[in-house]
Amino acid sequence: MDPDDRPIGRVTRCSTRGFVGAVRLPEPEWPVFGTFCRAEAQQGQSQVIGLVYDLSIEDDELARQLAASEALSPEQLADSQVNRQVPVEYHALAVGYLNGDVFTQSLPPQPPLTLAPVYRLTAPQVRLFTDRLDFLPLLVAVPEIPVDDLLAAALKTAAAVRPESERRGYLVRAAAECARLLGRDLTRLESLVRAIKP
Amino acid sequence: MGLNLSQILHQLEQMGAALAEHEAALRRLQPAATKALEHAAILPPEELAARVARAGDRYRGARPSDEPIRQRFPPPGLEAGLVIAGADGSQIYPDRHAPALYYVIQVGSLTIELGSGRAPQTRTLPEIHFRPEDLYDEDGHPVNNAVINGRRDALEMKALADWAESAAGRPFLALLDNGLLLWFALQVREQQQKEVDRVLKAYLGHLDGLRTRGGAVAGFIDRPRSADVLALAHLATLPPEAINDAALRANPFRALTDRMVFEQLLEPGERSACFIDTSPLNRDFETRGHQVRFFYLKTDARGTIARVEVPAWVADDAAALGRVHAGILEQCRATGGFPYALVRAHELAVVTNEDRQQLETYIQQRMLEHNLAPRTSQKATTKRWTRGRRKHRV
Repeated sequence: MDPDDRPIGRVTRCSTRGFVGAVRLPEPEWPVFGTFCRAEAQQGQSQVIGLVYDLSIEDDELARQLAASEALSPEQLADSQVNRQVPVEYHALAVGYLNGDVFTQSLPPQPPLTLAPVYRLTAPQVRLFTDRLDFLPLLVAVPEIPVDDLLAAALKTAAAVRPESERRGYLVRAAAECARLLGRDLTRLESLVRAIKP
Repeated sequence: MGLNLSQILHQLEQMGAALAEHEAALRRLQPAATKALEHAAILPPEELAARVARAGDRYRGARPSDEPIRQRFPPPGLEAGLVIAGADGSQIYPDRHAPALYYVIQVGSLTIELGSGRAPQTRTLPEIHFRPEDLYDEDGHPVNNAVINGRRDALEMKALADWAESAAGRPFLALLDNGLLLWFALQVREQQQKEVDRVLKAYLGHLDGLRTRGGAVAGFIDRPRSADVLALAHLATLPPEAINDAALRANPFRALTDRMVFEQLLEPGERSACFIDTSPLNRDFETRGHQVRFFYLKTDARGTIARVEVPAWVADDAAALGRVHAGILEQCRATGGFPYALVRAHELAVVTNEDRQQLETYIQQRMLEHNLAPRTSQKATTKRWTRGRRKHRV
């Protein structure tokens, strides 16, 4: 099975603004901050596109016991960090939806269903979705999340799936769009441009 | 409707008081039990052996081994490069209310190379059994849950024997989260002799494999409830001519467990002497060269007592017995008196209720693909209707 075909968890809570996914996977397979993902909605008619912005590790009693132990062996430490399927929870912000083959960059009509599988967007899907930059206003407007870091991570992800020759042009175009959105806050804009500078 | 706690609150208060009273009564019995054990310890070994022989098949208790019965053994050193494997299993029993009749056994196991700094190697092996020969015995009776337990135990031992093969040439210790004797055989032997023989043959064959590969093996029983050593202590108090059914039954220490006595006698890290299990099942094991012996071990400073079962070929080999003793203690250090390898083996093996529901969904899909109408029983369906707890607020 292609790694992109494997679910990275299931939806546990959701709204039209985003969803929370939970998964038990070894660490290398966790989604990362700024991962574009999708979850099924409207009984399979559409897919909500999410941008992962917060990962947390749920409480685990064995890990707590081992953390408190003074006799933890290197093998036990490696077991916990490499083998154990740690329950991970991540928040994804809705930045669009996929209907048939068409991506739309606005809030989805309905949130995904509880327990809907969540998949990573493939590189071609990320490229197609981020061709337009209309998802940026959805990000800038969200309170109480690290918006600037998420913007930078999303744009870097989007640039990375493009050929080398197109990356700089893409980031310059994105920076111009950010300048339009953050024109009144030059300090934020400067730090964002610095963060995405190739 | 969940458990109506308010209606049993009064009984719970009575229960608390009764438990305290029972515990106090047991503590009062303990000095006499310890004294009886001391008495057994000073009897000449041949005299004690003669009393066990006189008691014959009526006697259900421990038999002394070559080790003095009151001796305590301090923790030995840990062998360099020791490889420790653990195995555990879980199962889904057949359910006649499910869409199809099947059962599942899943064995989780791992192997840890001490001192390597490397993460353990892990395995999870599930098996689904759905053919008539798996689900019915030769007389057409549905398979007994005890038989499924026996098949699971044999697969756990196989997992350990497989790890022993991959660790060939290095010191190896296999741990099982249970006793070594297959108790299911006693439960169903009369009804399902052929199946019992089949499972026993497989299980003992894997034990043979472990022995051939030079590994040590031990069954770890947490919070043991057995009182075999106390039965021996009682037997030692009886004059030989007075040993009969009634005298054996009149054991004043019956309410106590060996654990309670060894909690007092052992220091952290120490083990007791080895004893021989006198269960009739042990004769089958003995015939195949795997007579089961056991000792008690204080696994941590809080006083946790475990019963550890080993085959005679481990008990009679000082290096192998020391490996069991030191290896278990090493594994108990970070996990409060229970071996880490078994904690993880359980985690690798466990089948949750959610797993079961997901499996049944897949089974139903496969049945639909073959034009079969999967139906749960009406009883199971109605249970599902009422499973979600709902409380009305006023």
